[in-house]
Amino acid sequence: LQDIRNTVGNIPMEWYQDFPHIGYDLDGKKIYKPIRNKDELDMFLEKMENPDYWRTVQDKMTGADIKLTDEQVDLVHRLQRGQFGDVHFNPYEPAVDFFTHEVMIHPVTNRPADKRSFIPSLIEKEKVSKLVHAIKMGWIKPRKPKDDSPSYYDLWAHEDPNSILGRHKMHVPAPKMKLPGHEESYNPPPEYLLSEEEKLAWEQQEVAERKLNFVPQRFGSLRQVPAYPRFIQERFERCLDLYLCPRQRKMRVNVNPEDLIPKLPKPRDLQPFPTTQALIYRGHSSLVRCLSISPSGQWLVSGSDDGTVRFWEVCTARCMKTLPVGGVVKSIAWNPNPTICLVAICVEQSVLLVNPCLGDKLLYGATDQLLESYVAPEEERVQPVRWVTATAEEHSKGIRLVIQHSKAVKQVTWHGKGDYLASVVSDNSSMQVLIHQSSKRWSQSPFRRSKGMVQVVLFHPTRPYFFVATQRYVRIYNLLKQELTKKLMTNCKWVSSMAIHPGGDNIICGSYDSKLAWFDLDLSTRPYQLLRHHKRALRSVAFHRRYPLFASGSDDGSVIVCHGMVYNDLLQNPLLVPVKVLKGHVITLDLGVLDVLFHPTQPWVFSSGADGTIRLYT
Amino acid sequence: TVLCACRYAVEDVPFSVPAASETTDLSHLINKLLAAGNVDHKYVEFDFLINGQFLRMPLVAHMEMENISTEEVVEIEYVEKYMAPQPEECIFHDDWISSVQATEEWILTGCYDQTARIWSLEGKSILTVAGHTEVVKDAVWVKQDSLSCLLLSASMDQTVLLWEWNVEKNKVKALHCCRGHAGSVDSIAVDSTRTKFCSGSWDKMLKIWSAVPTDEEDELEEAANRPRKKQKTEQFGLTRTPLATLSGHTEAVSSVLWSDAEEICSASWDHTIKLWDAETGDLKSTLTGNKVFNSVSYSPLCRRLASGSTDRHIRLWDPRSKDGSLVLLSLTSHTGWVTSVKWSPTHEHQLISGSLDNIVKLWDTRSCKAPLYDLAAHEDKVLCVDWTETGLLLSGGADNKLYCYRYPATASDIGA
Repeated sequence: LQDIRNTVGNIPMEWYQDFPHIGYDLDGKKIYKPIRNKDELDMFLEKMENPDYWRTVQDKMTGADIKLTDEQVDLVHRLQRGQFGDVHFNPYEPAVDFFTHEVMIHPVTNRPADKRSFIPSLIEKEKVSKLVHAIKMGWIKPRKPKDDSPSYYDLWAHEDPNSILGRHKMHVPAPKMKLPGHEESYNPPPEYLLSEEEKLAWEQQEVAERKLNFVPQRFGSLRQVPAYPRFIQERFERCLDLYLCPRQRKMRVNVNPEDLIPKLPKPRDLQPFPTTQALIYRGHSSLVRCLSISPSGQWLVSGSDDGTVRFWEVCTARCMKTLPVGGVVKSIAWNPNPTICLVAICVEQSVLLVNPCLGDKLLYGATDQLLESYVAPEEERVQPVRWVTATAEEHSKGIRLVIQHSKAVKQVTWHGKGDYLASVVSDNSSMQVLIHQSSKRWSQSPFRRSKGMVQVVLFHPTRPYFFVATQRYVRIYNLLKQELTKKLMTNCKWVSSMAIHPGGDNIICGSYDSKLAWFDLDLSTRPYQLLRHHKRALRSVAFHRRYPLFASGSDDGSVIVCHGMVYNDLLQNPLLVPVKVLKGHVITLDLGVLDVLFHPTQPWVFSSGADGTIRLYT
Repeated sequence: TVLCACRYAVEDVPFSVPAASETTDLSHLINKLLAAGNVDHKYVEFDFLINGQFLRMPLVAHMEMENISTEEVVEIEYVEKYMAPQPEECIFHDDWISSVQATEEWILTGCYDQTARIWSLEGKSILTVAGHTEVVKDAVWVKQDSLSCLLLSASMDQTVLLWEWNVEKNKVKALHCCRGHAGSVDSIAVDSTRTKFCSGSWDKMLKIWSAVPTDEEDELEEAANRPRKKQKTEQFGLTRTPLATLSGHTEAVSSVLWSDAEEICSASWDHTIKLWDAETGDLKSTLTGNKVFNSVSYSPLCRRLASGSTDRHIRLWDPRSKDGSLVLLSLTSHTGWVTSVKWSPTHEHQLISGSLDNIVKLWDTRSCKAPLYDLAAHEDKVLCVDWTETGLLLSGGADNKLYCYRYPATASDIGA
């Protein structure tokens, strides 16, 4: 073999395929590839003719052909057979067992024993003394008594019992499957089979709405029942049910809605109150705007648009007197003092004081004497109105005094004592409200400034208060101190009427937006309760003087009577219960009931209507 | 089921009657039995009573309502059916009629035109008694002789006038003017001796007056204060003052009557009926209702009070009872206030009532659900009714008409 050392190292020799050299020698000179000019034919001839062709191999490093010797060929053959390369190596030599169980007379090693195997170990001594010290100190216990108690423990010992209870309580069982019924039988009784119409209806129903999710079918025998096609789907739905079963309990407040309504007593326990129409007072030819009743309850007076005032006997509906006044009667008020027989009537620009000459002769005679006993003061006083004594002709009709205002008068009301009366003029100036004293024939305007259109005024029944209702507010003035005491917000758009409880601590206001506001003056300046029972505008409200009743009349032709109990106990709020709707008036000109009024002693209510009648409900 | 009678007696043998049979069927049955016993028997309509209740529906329904067992023998009484009242007269007035009282010969009415009127039973106007200055609310007879009669009229002008009517001359003269009330006098009643009368007024007072005419004038206390007024009314008799004043009512007195020789019964707007001792003026007892009383009537035959109030019921009261249940019975068929009630003077079970629903009803207390007859002649409110001993029913009202009905005076001849 040529000693050519190629220095390229272990690299793929293909890299030098296209070069003339094959690498570099130790001196760094190129090692040229041996000239190979043999073609295929030469190769073939070589293969056929050269007897050593089979043992010739090419050296990749040099590219020279090398002819293998016999030993080399033999080695190759041995390696090919998987034998050791060395011919002399015997893999099957007999084994010598040096460390056997058999005791030999000669030891394998004859070395003498170590010194340390004869003397006690210092390290061990140190360790033992540490342990002994720990035992002495009680840090460790030798021969600790064995704990015989079982080695398991209470897994839930430290758990909060409430949480367990809660968990049990909160357990939501999965919805149970409905047990199969007769309709699921392969041979259901005929009543379970669907008729044609039922089947049609079943098909038209929404899937979720169907009572049965299959159509019951009949088969001759169990063998004929086919495979159920919806099985997988139903299993899936069942899994959905289980999976979607709510894991959280919603705390639903279980309250009966009826319990939330305040407990009101039944109307029939609140008797007496008017329930039926008893009498109709016929005679007026136009709408009856206003009503008033004598303090004794024997006589009723009504004013109408037909220009008359009529006096009626209450118990028979007999018209005792008709007084033509020549104008629309806007308001009428009977003097509340039982010892004075006087009626104030608003006609256009004047207030007439009329002695009806009904009832006790002594009384109405005394009233005349009282009016006649007036002595005019020496000096003329400046008054906002003119007091005129009635002429002889008027006197014969019953008219005693005329208070002439500058503008049309729309309301008149008496003070409880029966001497003072207040009138409301439809005007925008500060002279809207006037207070008159009938015995001294003296009038004054209590307000310096106008606070809006005054709708209604009222005197407090016992204390020196004066109530003035404008469109949205009710102002309470103290007449003695001459100051504003309170201002009530009605929450209504336009107040039409007002009435005061005989106790004096409660007020009701009716409004044109069909609301009735009850004010408790001790509670607040806002309505204690706002009742919306009427369908249309309220025209009039009234309190009963003795019974816990109040009534409201409306354009819808009905009178609603409510029980309104006011307790002496300041802690108890008034009890308001609507008890009766009274109907009877015919709606004319889009107007129903114009005025309501209670009888002073009986639980009866009068209503006057746009149909020209007055009705008594008992 | 047993049937029995007296005048039309049948044998006391139990019969079985179909349960569904009504009064007409039973009536036919009785008539058949009577015709079998008596050849010249004429058909008579009967009415039937079971335990004192009139049969007004099929037998089975009645027994179910009254809780009578159908297993037992039921005793059915029968009476001759009451004839319907026959209308006789319609007397026209000038104004509303506030009161009516009739005797054997004459009818006295109080009228809203401030007069009282005397009529003959035939409806002929005999006399107009004018003198009051206000509506006459009540008018009653005091005494009747062939020559002269005494009568009383009460008015809204707070007086009661005692009149003497000379029948022959047909002249009336005011004997006494009874002054003292301070309100309209709504009701007067004369006692059984015809010497006293009692008046009830709107001023809550009852006053007892003498009804005997005298020539003296009682001195009025405040006469000096009002000489003018006194002169004006001088022509209507001598002034008379009350013998006694009974006060206790808190509201107007609407009706008074003498329930006994010395007992006055008054009904008031204060929802009470009070019984007074006329001799001492003490309050004996109080019957409390819950409505205003308009009218009260007493029957000495059955010792019951009947009251009409401002609702649609007529209530029967026992004035003697002291325990709680004062209302014995309610008769309900009217639809308006009962303004007037009057017991029959001859029959212990019957009464008539007038109401604001324009109907006069004739009642038998044994049939409290439905009246015997409705007399629906009035066109307006009925204000007063009366029943005379001769069997005349009278009713006056706000339609200015006084209706008279002849009602055969059947004594309480129950078949027994």
